[in-house]
Amino acid sequence: MNAELLVLIAMMALFAIAVFIGKYPIGISLALASIAGALLSGFGVPFRHLVEGSISYLDPILIIVTAMIFMEIIKETGALGETSRLIVRYFHAYPFLFLTAITFFIMIPGMLTGLSTASVLTTGAVVAPALIAYGIPKVKTGSIIAMAALYGMIAPPINVPAMIIGGGVDMPFIGFELPLLFATVPLALFTTYFIARPHVSRGVRSEVLEKISALTQDIHRARLFLPVLVLVLLMSLSRLIPNDLTSLGLPLIFVISSLAAFRSGRDFNYWKVAQSAIKKAMPVMGILVGIGMFIQILSLSGVRGFLIVNIVQIPSYWIYVAIAVSLPLFGAISSYGASYVLGVPFLLALLGRNEIIVASAITLIASLGDMMPPTALAGIFSAQVVDEPNYFRILKVCIPYIVITAFYGVMMIIGANWFAKYLIV
Amino acid sequence: MSFLKKHLTRLLILASALSVSAFVGIDFLSMHVPDPIYPNPCQKLQLSDYFKPLAGTAGDTDVYIFEGDQAGATVLILGGTHANEPAGHIAAVSLMENIEVDAGRLIILPRANNSGFTHNDPQEGNPQRFMIKTRRGERWFRYGSRYTNSIDQWPDPDVYEHQPSGQHLSGSETRNLNRSYPGSPDGNLTEKIGYAIMQLLKQEHVDLAFDLHEASLEYPVINAVVAHQLAFDLAAEVVMTLQMEDILFNLEPSPVDFHGLSHREWGDALGIPVILMESANPLQGRYHGKVTPDIIVTGKDKYNLQAAKSGLIEVNYPADGIPLNLRVARHLSGLATTFDIWNSSHQDDQIIVKNIPSYSEMITNGLGVYLK
Ligand SMILES: [Zn+2]
Repeated sequence: MNAELLVLIAMMALFAIAVFIGKYPIGISLALASIAGALLSGFGVPFRHLVEGSISYLDPILIIVTAMIFMEIIKETGALGETSRLIVRYFHAYPFLFLTAITFFIMIPGMLTGLSTASVLTTGAVVAPALIAYGIPKVKTGSIIAMAALYGMIAPPINVPAMIIGGGVDMPFIGFELPLLFATVPLALFTTYFIARPHVSRGVRSEVLEKISALTQDIHRARLFLPVLVLVLLMSLSRLIPNDLTSLGLPLIFVISSLAAFRSGRDFNYWKVAQSAIKKAMPVMGILVGIGMFIQILSLSGVRGFLIVNIVQIPSYWIYVAIAVSLPLFGAISSYGASYVLGVPFLLALLGRNEIIVASAITLIASLGDMMPPTALAGIFSAQVVDEPNYFRILKVCIPYIVITAFYGVMMIIGANWFAKYLIV
Repeated sequence: MSFLKKHLTRLLILASALSVSAFVGIDFLSMHVPDPIYPNPCQKLQLSDYFKPLAGTAGDTDVYIFEGDQAGATVLILGGTHANEPAGHIAAVSLMENIEVDAGRLIILPRANNSGFTHNDPQEGNPQRFMIKTRRGERWFRYGSRYTNSIDQWPDPDVYEHQPSGQHLSGSETRNLNRSYPGSPDGNLTEKIGYAIMQLLKQEHVDLAFDLHEASLEYPVINAVVAHQLAFDLAAEVVMTLQMEDILFNLEPSPVDFHGLSHREWGDALGIPVILMESANPLQGRYHGKVTPDIIVTGKDKYNLQAAKSGLIEVNYPADGIPLNLRVARHLSGLATTFDIWNSSHQDDQIIVKNIPSYSEMITNGLGVYLK
């Protein structure tokens, strides 16, 4: 058998054994699989490569830690609960409006950061109690949040996978707004409505308000929402007027917003909240470190070359099947990684179709990786947000919408030149 | 004692993490040692001589000036804009170690982005060094990164907004020297390097400029001469002349609205004809197999070959690979031919350079013969 295929199978097998039999955390299992891959390809235990690979996720790790601390803090102050109470209070009588508002609300942080987890952990966590109080079961609430977060990550103005692909083919990130809106908004609204539909028609409205506990203390709302306002303001500033003063970076923005929370609502112990936030973020940080090692060893051992050469040269229309299947599957390791490793070759294999439309569609499909086990960043965090211990129940609800999204993306690629007439200005 | 007992596992994990960090840290630091260059007689300056604030930073780099006895044209050659494109760096080094300038001045920056030579691109699994056999034995060169080292410029913004065009690129491109021009005196490190190079072009009154690169096999602009419109006729003649010698280049006009690149901004801002040359680096793309330093030098790789057979790559990729001496020879023949054609139309302002290794010599004798 082909040496690279053997290494790949060994890495996957060891990973599966470590996760399912050894019950090791995913991050540790990825690291073990990486070491096995390096040993098998004759590189020994290449500490340099293991560290170098994981370093690429230093920035996302900082964002996740600080975002998590921010989330925990506004939960403690009471701002989260109050927001969902307000959304329900003003929109509960109009289900269509309620769901639309909530979908866009969930998408916003992802649109601004290009990270699905940013959506899940911030606005996703904010609306979760509102959706549950509205009568939508918690598993379905988690599914709505996870899917909207995926679309938010792909929607403009920031789509990091598209930038990653663009960096590989010298395509500036210009003119993506309409194609990306077209790729995300219809799917996002469709998904939310269809998941929520069986539950909103029942008319739970009257008791909805009572279910959400009001703030016990009498706290001024403007003060309560100050941290969120600071967050939105700093995020928008860095986008609207990008310069040295405003480009603080998401981690610092989250830290400043967290500091704005002192005495804004219920009192909290910063030390304890930060500790519990880091504890919650630890598995994901571990996964990112492990993924970095895993990808580095895939490249080093030649498994990446083997995979790409064999996937991309698939004949004619099978390439669409390959795109719809391999991007989300590889995205299980990391959707950014999938865009980098597979997105660029696919785009180049599809030259002749409008590159912007094709790249937009590829990122839409790659984003589905954030729902795929074992990493499933969006899915696992959504499960955490709604207190659902079993992430797979959320995945099960999402599967039809994942399939529809992949299909929608493939349709965009097939009709790229036709869509370009309307979407490329 | 009870403290030790209670926390033994934690302390052990912490200790092993620290020792791995120390071990790997020393390895990373070793990349800061420059590979030696043995230039022929010339004047050695620093890039910071053209822009003082760069002094003492990781962006400062050596500038070598070869001056002829006769006055003539001033020509700039950049190697190592991207430190993971060895043919550009080695072409500059092999020029420096062989040439003698009779007329005009040749200014060479073998490591245009010095910081890029001090690290590797994460997740690529690239080697830190590769070896070339010379008469004296094995000589080592660094294989670096396309980008400025994050240790020198961090963090990246989410989006890189190029100044002054306002063009948006992915955040990591903020560390790409060839997206930074015209640079800025108070920008980030990469923009400062770009600005310093613009200052050099201006202060030395450069008449003709080159930027030497490589690209991945699947990248459409490959084995190419990319020319600013001011250099387009010159470049077209170069490509035609080389074609008669069976050295094939694709001629590409520099895109007018793609900003930050040397072949766009140097020409636009300073009116200098600029030519960028690309050769094909088999380690750079995504199709190559197991990573070894040998791929850089021999250019041989089985998955590149398989990709070529399936029509996935843009260049002719023979079973023998695309070795480094061939790629360097392409750059050198491109330079030499451009000088000849320039001289025929600039009788009073010539650049006459002796002992540039010829294409056929380098293919026959190999690279090592031309390195000290
Ligand atoms: Zn380059």
